[in-house]
Amino acid sequence: MPDKSSDLVQGTLDMLVLKTLALEPMHGHGISVRIEQMSKGVFRPNAGSLFLAIQRLQRDGLIDGEWKPTENNRRAKYYVLTQKGRKRLNSETQEWGRQAAAIARILEAS
Amino acid sequence: MSFLRNISSGLRSLFRKEQVDRELDEELRAYQEMATDEKMKQGMSRKEALRAVRLEQGSPELTRQVLWSERWESLVEMCWQDLRFGLRMLRKSPGFTLVAVLTLALGVGVNTSIFSAFDSVALKPLPVKDAHDVVRLQRWFASGAMGDVQYDFSYPEYLYYRSQNHAFLGLIAASWPGQALATAPSGSETGSTAPHELLPLQCQLVSENYFSVLGIRMEFGQAFAGGEERAPVSNPVIVLSYPYWRGQLNGDREVIGKTLEVNGTSLTVIGVAPEDFIGTGNPPEVPDFWAPLEMQTKLEPQNDWLHEPSNQPLQIVGRLAPATSIDQAQAETEVLIRRFEQDHVEKDQTIGLTLHRATYFGVTDELWFRAFAAGLMAVVSLVLLVACVNLANMSLARGASRTKEIAMRLALGAGRGRLVRQLLTESMLLALMGGLAGLLFSLWATRLEWIGLVRLIHVLLGSRILVAPLTVDIRVLLYTLVVSLVSGVLFGLWPALQSSKASVSDALKAEGSGYGQPPSQSRFRSFLVGGQVAVSMVLLISAGLVLRGVAKAQGAKPGFETRSVFHLSFSLGNDPGKATILKRQIMARLQTLPEISEVALANRLPYAGTSTRPLLVEGNHATAKGVPHETLINYVSPTFFAALSIPVVRGRNFTPQEADANIPVAIVSEATARNAWPGEDPVGKRLKLDLRFDGKWKEFEVVGVARDVRFTNISRVDPAYVYLPGDPSQSNGLLIRSARSPRDTVAAIRTSLESFDRSLLPTLGFLSLDNFMHSQEFVPQAAAILTAILAFLAVALGAVGLYGVMAYVVTQRTREVGIRLALGASKSDVLRLLVRQGMLPVIGGAGCGLVLSAAVSGVLHAVLVSPGMPDLLFGVSSFDPAVYAGLTALLAGVGLLACAVPARRAMRVDPMIALRYE
Repeated sequence: MPDKSSDLVQGTLDMLVLKTLALEPMHGHGISVRIEQMSKGVFRPNAGSLFLAIQRLQRDGLIDGEWKPTENNRRAKYYVLTQKGRKRLNSETQEWGRQAAAIARILEAS
Repeated sequence: MSFLRNISSGLRSLFRKEQVDRELDEELRAYQEMATDEKMKQGMSRKEALRAVRLEQGSPELTRQVLWSERWESLVEMCWQDLRFGLRMLRKSPGFTLVAVLTLALGVGVNTSIFSAFDSVALKPLPVKDAHDVVRLQRWFASGAMGDVQYDFSYPEYLYYRSQNHAFLGLIAASWPGQALATAPSGSETGSTAPHELLPLQCQLVSENYFSVLGIRMEFGQAFAGGEERAPVSNPVIVLSYPYWRGQLNGDREVIGKTLEVNGTSLTVIGVAPEDFIGTGNPPEVPDFWAPLEMQTKLEPQNDWLHEPSNQPLQIVGRLAPATSIDQAQAETEVLIRRFEQDHVEKDQTIGLTLHRATYFGVTDELWFRAFAAGLMAVVSLVLLVACVNLANMSLARGASRTKEIAMRLALGAGRGRLVRQLLTESMLLALMGGLAGLLFSLWATRLEWIGLVRLIHVLLGSRILVAPLTVDIRVLLYTLVVSLVSGVLFGLWPALQSSKASVSDALKAEGSGYGQPPSQSRFRSFLVGGQVAVSMVLLISAGLVLRGVAKAQGAKPGFETRSVFHLSFSLGNDPGKATILKRQIMARLQTLPEISEVALANRLPYAGTSTRPLLVEGNHATAKGVPHETLINYVSPTFFAALSIPVVRGRNFTPQEADANIPVAIVSEATARNAWPGEDPVGKRLKLDLRFDGKWKEFEVVGVARDVRFTNISRVDPAYVYLPGDPSQSNGLLIRSARSPRDTVAAIRTSLESFDRSLLPTLGFLSLDNFMHSQEFVPQAAAILTAILAFLAVALGAVGLYGVMAYVVTQRTREVGIRLALGASKSDVLRLLVRQGMLPVIGGAGCGLVLSAAVSGVLHAVLVSPGMPDLLFGVSSFDPAVYAGLTALLAGVGLLACAVPARRAMRVDPMIALRYE
């Protein structure tokens, strides 16, 4: 059954990935699981868009990837946040907060 | 920083594609594994888990594709793909590719070679250091006189500007090239010339800072230092030019220190200029040697024109001081010239001064040059246009044959833009290949065309021009590139757009394109064919007319005596009054010699320049059509007509009194009389001439009519000629009529003058009028070369294009032909049908071409209004029926062949095979 995860705006997914990696370095699947966890099941990024986001972030120099063995002795690419990525995360979080507050204000207006 | 990362990562995925893909695959698989593991933990079997994960994830291939298309390197890869595909397609149809490349090579090549000639002449800066800082001075007269005289300045003027200016780093003066009779440098092996033989050398007198301001380093020896001007007597030195040194002295390396004898003075060679220094131009002649200005009296003992204030024999060229703009310098120089004129009386006041960047051809902003250049460029652009139209047609045809392939691709999801881009890439490839071939072709052809062009310009300019070194520089390369690209777009865009419009259903329905073609497409193609035929027609007819004229020129006779008439020139000093007296005495002496039958004076010599004046004719017909408003004039002595054997057919000759007293009488040529007073006796009539271009008309009475001759241009009878009585002060040397050989005649003259005044002998010049005619031979040669090339191009391009298109169209209709044959039509019927339909646009185009040609001829004709202009058609009427009819037939014949040959080939195919043809 196709999952009813809400559609994430592209930029938002980037931000979430950054946040996830800010907590601890992780591989692609791990990021997906963690996002699902943290959002309590609201967001469930599909592999395609997740990988797109990861590649983009990598291209822009916001995260760095490295091949490492996993717990099960498999190989996976672990990503870590760079300095630039950290800065970007901060600014995006602020921006998001501003926008969310504004929207909330509008919605609550009577 | 991230930009660099972007680039490097992009490059990596371009060149290490496999590795990058593998990594991505690995990552995706790892993801897959982990997700599967997780699902299995939730209780699914491995198989189910795998399936569920796959459903979620989607195809890894798709992911990879989406990732790929997001980045810039996909664009690069697409272009690369297009290129390779384009090359492959071109390789598949080698015939088309070859024809296309050749066509383009011709079109672009011709353009490039004309442009490089133009570049050498007008755009290339002088071959000196930092040429963009070097400017030439040009003055404007109150009388409105234009031409070479605008570049003349006097020596006192030059010295004044030099001392007073701040805007120039250095000002140099150069004289107009002059001739000096010299003996070869002593002791050198010249091979061809005997010692002590006098050779006329071209020399140019220049200021002593000439080479230093221009930044020229000598090939050997040194240039003039400061001292020569102060001590000319003790140390006469000269610098040789490279062509002279190489050519006449065989590159003698010991030439420094050797001397040249000119007029009894020994001139020491101190240096040889480098190979690429060909002087400062205007006129663009390379002198044989340069001498400092102050040596003028040594080279020409009779004259001291350097210090004559009214004499203006120098051109001034300057190098701008750093950080000075050309406008600033111009403003300052204008002030200087005004200040100078306050102290010196000028016979023709200078009202303005302009500075412009010095090019080798100084007169590139003159109207006739611009018109000539524009005309030439227009013609070659036409040729290129024909080539492009040709190619567009062929591309259209080719595109139509790929309808199925294109439709398939459209159906599979390719965007139209993508297809257009791919088709356009093919055209660009062809264009660039053609451009390259064209560049190579032009390198070879330019030499040939340049010779033809130089000869043509030679005649129009009337001076001796050395071939300027033609190099392919960056400007020419850029031009070729641009022209190629533009052509590529021109002939590629429309067919690309047309072809990509293919309707999917139609194409897939295996219908022969004979039916499936939209009528607009084939109509457009017919239109293109017709247009091409029209342009070819115009080129052909122009060429035909000129070639016909050339044929006529072979028999052209000047109408007056040239073999037994000689021009004697000598230098009589500065004082005009004294010179006139001397000349009379010389004339009297020479007249007594038994070898000489006539001695005459003339202001203008045949084929050596023109004097044209506005003319007003008196009488009833003064304002009628055909009455000349301009005429050529010549001041002549009464003996002129006898000397040149030009009979005075009505009225009488001038009397000696009239010549001396400047009485206002005139003798007109037959043509002038015919046009000005048709049907009336011109003797006794009056005419007015504006001799000084100042609006003041002087009246003359006609006393005689002279036979028509071709005095100014061998190509046409002078349309209007008025002879005025002239005295020795107005004449240019003497005309000597002698039945003896030139050697005997000149010997007699020398002997006679020796006892009269020895100092004249060194400056004697003696030439048969036949020599003057030689310059006129070049016109037909030049015209022949140029037009032959163009005509060949026109026919070649036209024929090839026609054939290509017709062949394609007929092939497409093979199925139709098969049906017709199967239904019982005879072969000849079908043949006639095909040919008739094919010839329709050809006939239409030919008709348009005829009309266009007539228009162009009319324009060319208008140019001939000025009586001094040479007639490139040599009197062939621009509506010559033989040419028109003949060439139309030729083109029609070519068109017929182009239609018939493919049609006949189609006939020979077995109807059964034709029916099944797709």
